[in-house]
Amino acid sequence: MSIDSAKRNQLGRIATNLNRMGLTVLWMVCLALFSPVHAADRLDTIRAHGVLIVGVKTDYPPFGMLTTNAEHQGLEHDLAVDLAQRLGVQLRTVGVNTTNRLQVLDDGRVDVTIATLGDTAERRQVATLIEPDYYSSGVSLMTRPDSPVQRWSDLRGQTVCATQGSYFNRTIVQRDLLKLQLYANGRDAKLAVRDRRCVGWLFDNTAIAGDLLTSEWHGYRIALPPELVAPWAIAVARGESSATLARFIGDTVAQWHRDGTLLALEKKWGLPPSSFLLQMHALWSAKDPDGQYRCRRLADDQWPVACRNQIFVTSTNLTGLRRWGLWLNEKTGINLTYLYDDYERTIFLHGIALTLALTSSCLGGSLATALVLVWLTQRGPHLIAVMVRGYASLARMTPPLLQIYLLFFGVGSVASAHWGIRFNAFWIVVSVLSLYTGAGLMNVLDHAADEARTVDACYVVNVHALARLLAESSTVVSASLVNVAKATMMASAVAVPELLSVSTYIVAEHGNVGTMMNTLMVFFVFLIFCVLSLLQWAQRRGAHVRT
Amino acid sequence: MSGPDIFEQLLTWSLYLLGGFAWNITISLVAVAIGTVAGYMLARGRATKHMLSQRMAILATALMRNVPTFVFQFYLIFMLPDTVTMPLGLGAVPFPSWLKASLALALAVAGFVSDNLVPVLSLDGTERRHATMRFALHWGNYLVIIVMASSTASVIGVSELVSRCNTVINASGTTDMMLWVYLYAMTFFFTFCFVSTGLIRVVSRHIGRRDVPDASGA
Repeated sequence: MSIDSAKRNQLGRIATNLNRMGLTVLWMVCLALFSPVHAADRLDTIRAHGVLIVGVKTDYPPFGMLTTNAEHQGLEHDLAVDLAQRLGVQLRTVGVNTTNRLQVLDDGRVDVTIATLGDTAERRQVATLIEPDYYSSGVSLMTRPDSPVQRWSDLRGQTVCATQGSYFNRTIVQRDLLKLQLYANGRDAKLAVRDRRCVGWLFDNTAIAGDLLTSEWHGYRIALPPELVAPWAIAVARGESSATLARFIGDTVAQWHRDGTLLALEKKWGLPPSSFLLQMHALWSAKDPDGQYRCRRLADDQWPVACRNQIFVTSTNLTGLRRWGLWLNEKTGINLTYLYDDYERTIFLHGIALTLALTSSCLGGSLATALVLVWLTQRGPHLIAVMVRGYASLARMTPPLLQIYLLFFGVGSVASAHWGIRFNAFWIVVSVLSLYTGAGLMNVLDHAADEARTVDACYVVNVHALARLLAESSTVVSASLVNVAKATMMASAVAVPELLSVSTYIVAEHGNVGTMMNTLMVFFVFLIFCVLSLLQWAQRRGAHVRT
Repeated sequence: MSGPDIFEQLLTWSLYLLGGFAWNITISLVAVAIGTVAGYMLARGRATKHMLSQRMAILATALMRNVPTFVFQFYLIFMLPDTVTMPLGLGAVPFPSWLKASLALALAVAGFVSDNLVPVLSLDGTERRHATMRFALHWGNYLVIIVMASSTASVIGVSELVSRCNTVINASGTTDMMLWVYLYAMTFFFTFCFVSTGLIRVVSRHIGRRDVPDASGA
C-alpha cells in the first residue's frame, strides 16, 4: 500500500524531526543548567570600564555631606578617592541613605558602599562586609560645657534625653540604670539639654561630634567614652564575582591603618581622636620578630584571629581556653569572659585582690580606731574626751556613704581646685569606714569601762583592761566587724576598681547579667563566711584568755 | 559662689531634699516591716522541735547573715524584672527600684530579728515580757541603722536623699555646691539619728525603772 508507506515515511520524518528538536532543547537546557554561570569578575569590569562607582552618604557630616555646589564631600568621600587612585580608575560617587545603601549593591548600581555602615551579623547576610573595619562608633552623651558628669555610673537614677526609635535606648537603660526622656527628633532632645531639663543627649558619638562642629552647639562636650561600640565596614555585593574586589579593598584598608591615613583624615575633618583608630594603627603596624607584619593574610585568604573583629570569631577559629569559653557560651549561653578572656581575667583577679585588701584594711582599721578612741576618752584630758565623744557621735550617726561622698567629691574638689591635691579613693573609703565602725565600738567600750568604774573606783584603762573589755563585749565587736566587712563594697561608688565595679563593667560590656551577678554573690557570701569564722575563732581564743 | 548665694540655693532645694529623705524613711519602714515578719517566722522555725524546719530555718538565717546588702541590691536590680504580671488577669504591675532596695535591706532585718528573737521565744511569762521589751529597744536602734543604710539605694538609681543631692549638684552646674549640699544632707541624717536614739534611751530608762522592783523582788 503506497499511501500507508508514504504516511509511514511522513510520520517517520516528523518523529525524527521531533526527536532532533527534543534533543536540541534538552541539550540547550542542559547547557543552561549545568554549564558554569560565568558572571564577569567585578574587579576586572571596573578596570575594563575605567570607573569605580562608590555609594556615599549626603546627610551625615563630616563623613558624607554636600558642598554648596551640591557635590559630595566628607571623610568617606576622601576614602573613595584614595581607593579609586589605587585602582587606577576614575571615581564616580552616588548618594545613598540608610535604607538603600546595601540594596544598591545588589542592583549593581554601585560597586562599593562606604556609608557609615555598622558591621553586624544581619548585614553580613545581605552583603559582603570587608575586614578590617575602618572606623567605629558607639553611644555617648552630649552635655552642657559645665556638666560634672565623667563616668557612665554617674548617670544612675538621672534623667537623660534620647531620640525615639534609637536602637540603643533600651539596652542603655538596662545597663546603666538611668531614666529616659524621649523626644521625636534629635533637635528637640538637644534643646532640652540646653534648657537643663535633662543631664545630656544620648546618641551616636560620631553624630554628636558632627553637631559639635557647628556654631550652635559649640562648647558642648562628649562627656563619656562610647558604649555599645560597633565598628564600621566597607561593603561590596555578595557572591563570588566580588571576591577579588573584596580582597583588594581589605588590603587597602589594612594599608590605611598602617600608614596613618585614617588618623590623618580624622584630624582633617575635626573629629575627636578615637581610641579605635589608635588601637588599629598599633595592631596593624605590629611586626613579628622576623620582620613580617603580624596581621598578614593566611593561606585561606583570611586575616589571623587576633586581627579580626572579635564579634565574628567563632569557637572553631580558636584554640585553648578561649575556644573552651566560646564553646561553652555557644552551647549553654553562660558567658564566663572573666575566665577565658585575658584582659577581663586580669581585671577580675585584680578586683578580687582589691576587695580582700579593702576588707582586711577596714577590719584592722576599725579595731585600731576603736582602741585609740577609747584610750583618748578614758585616759586623756577632759576637753579631749568631750571632743572625741562629740566627733565620734557625729561619725556614728551619719551614713558612711555620705561621708565618703563629702570627703572625696566635696572636700576633694576644693582641694584639687585650690591646692592641686588629689585624694586616693581607697584610703578615703578605709578611713571613713574605720572611723564609722570605730566610733560605734568606742561607744560600747566606753560604756563598759564606765560600768567597770562604778564597781572599782580605781579602774584604769590600760592594755590589760582593754583586752578584757574587748573579750567581754566580743559579740557586739564581732557583729560590728562583720557589718563593716559587708559595707566595704561601697568603694565601688567612688570608682575603686574592686570586684563589684569590675563585675558591673563586664555586664555593661557583654550583657551576661545572670552569670556575673551569681558569681558575685557566691564570692561575697564566701568572703563574709570566712570573716565570720575568723571572728568566731578570735572570740573563742578571747574566752580562753578571760578564763 | 558666695555664702549668701549658697545659703539661698540650699533653701530653694530644701523641700526637694526633704522629699528624698521621706523616701529613705519609706524604704526603711517597708524593709523593716517585711524583715520583721520574715525574721519572726524564721525564729519560730528555729524554736520548733521539727528537725527539717529547724535545719532549714537555721540555714536561711545563716544565708541572710552572710549576704552583704550593698551587693544584694545590685543583684536584685539586675535580676528582677521591671514589671510583674499579676495572676488572675490583673495586668502588669511595675516593680520599682525602691522596692528592690527595700527587699535587699529586709534580708538584713530578717537575719537580725531571727537571731535576737530566738532567746526571747525560749522564755515564758514575765521574763518573756522583759526580754521582749529589751528586744524592742534593740529593734528600735536597728531601725535607725537601716535608715542610714538606705542611703546606699542611691547607687542603684533610687531617688532618695543622696541621689537628689547629686541631681541638685548637676542642676547647679558648678562643683562648688558639692561640699555644702552633702553637709546639708548629713544634717538631715544626723538630726534624725540623734533624736531617735535619744528617744529610745529615754524609753529604755523608763522601762528600766519599772523593771527594778520586779527584778529585785523576783
